[in-house]
Amino acid sequence: MRDLPTGPSLLALAREVLLSDLLPLLPEQHRLEVRLVANSMAIAEREAEAADGLRKAIARELEKLYRWTGEGEEPENLLRCFARDLRVDRFKGSEPQERKAREILWQLTISKLRQANPRCLAANGFR
Amino acid sequence: MGSQRSELLPAAGVAQDHRTALARFLAAESGAAKVEFSGLAPLRGGAIQENWAVDARFFGGLLTGDQRLVLRTAAPTGVAASLSRNEEFAVLKAAFAAGVTVPEPLFASEDPAVFGKAFFVMRRVDGTAAAHRITRDPLLDPSLPAIAGRLGRELARIHTIRPPRSGLAFLPSYEQVGPAQQIAGFRAYLDRHPVPRPVLEWGIRWLETHLPPPVEPVLCHHDYRTGNYMLDGANLTGILDWEFAGWGDPHEDIGWFCCKGWRFARLDREAGGIADRAPFYRGYERESGRMVGRERVFFWEVLASVRWAIIALQQSDRYLIGGERNLDLALTGRRATECELEILMLLDPDGAPSDA
Repeated sequence: MRDLPTGPSLLALAREVLLSDLLPLLPEQHRLEVRLVANSMAIAEREAEAADGLRKAIARELEKLYRWTGEGEEPENLLRCFARDLRVDRFKGSEPQERKAREILWQLTISKLRQANPRCLAANGFR
Repeated sequence: MGSQRSELLPAAGVAQDHRTALARFLAAESGAAKVEFSGLAPLRGGAIQENWAVDARFFGGLLTGDQRLVLRTAAPTGVAASLSRNEEFAVLKAAFAAGVTVPEPLFASEDPAVFGKAFFVMRRVDGTAAAHRITRDPLLDPSLPAIAGRLGRELARIHTIRPPRSGLAFLPSYEQVGPAQQIAGFRAYLDRHPVPRPVLEWGIRWLETHLPPPVEPVLCHHDYRTGNYMLDGANLTGILDWEFAGWGDPHEDIGWFCCKGWRFARLDREAGGIADRAPFYRGYERESGRMVGRERVFFWEVLASVRWAIIALQQSDRYLIGGERNLDLALTGRRATECELEILMLLDPDGAPSDA
């Protein structure tokens, strides 16, 4: 059990102080770097909030996919196995598996961007 | 990766013996009695190479008078695909001779006694290469289609340079760097990368099964995009950053220029974030006398997204593995996922599932 405020909320506050209070005081040549610092803090905050959710959600979907093929891979190896199988078109012969594989690729990508760059998602028409 | 950014960083240390050796080198190469510096400072930008603004007075010789120059040398760590400075200098000379709008290349040295490492010197051109500014500036808007046309013509001029060329004999043959070899390189990198990238594997497999027939190779810039040309107002003053140049399919540069990763603030403007494809293609087709093959461009645009993703990962490797303390590089790795989104959008006709 950790004390409050939580890590993500501390990061959010620190970022606000950085951008609102400190950035205007800095000379122009340091501002880009400070914006990069703020961006890093925002990513860290979103990833901390999401905790292990993404890894677990993708592992669940991969388990479903691999149950269909009867492989029974260990969860921690599943993503590597998935990548390896995509390299050789492993799912091409089965329309449901192929569709499921693409769904997982979308889910993985959109979930990662929600944390790393939600503005990119919005710019591409995703909510 | 741009080079001639106008913004100077605060004065950084150049050892006095390097200043002296550089002045002597420039005097000897230009035939001047002596050279004196009024400015020597690093320029912002250049994630892979370091660029220095050199303001110098030449006493006699080819460059007599005050000159504004750029000295280009390697950053502490780089990416494997880039040319050496001497090779980049040779490519820049070939482009200059072909009538491409580039900063005039002047001198090169591989002697570490002069500046600590190999470098070359070119003229400094005016303007900005800042892509976010170029793609956002409302004052530039009316000129952008014409600029896109000009960039198409410039690209066609680059593509007039064809092998064999004795001065460019160091460039690997197209058979060594064609799409199949690039795919092998992507996979070799992913095999070493600690985090699996299923979307890249999926996209690479598509590329492997859709290889276009071979073409007569031309000199490709291989980083021809918004951010790597200088605009002084609406005037194009220079195509920059030739470190990735090599023989290739001309559509490779067109796909790279148009790929979404290089549209910056304007994803809707498919030619480099500055215009529709039509004026860019038209400029290219008029100058080259050849039609742009739309299907070939699509292939190279998919490859561009894969390549940009791999470069983004390699950039963050410079922090993760190379130990280069640079937040910009560290963050660039996250951009690989943006490229993966584009790969999915290009290649999956069904689009994202509703619950993604």
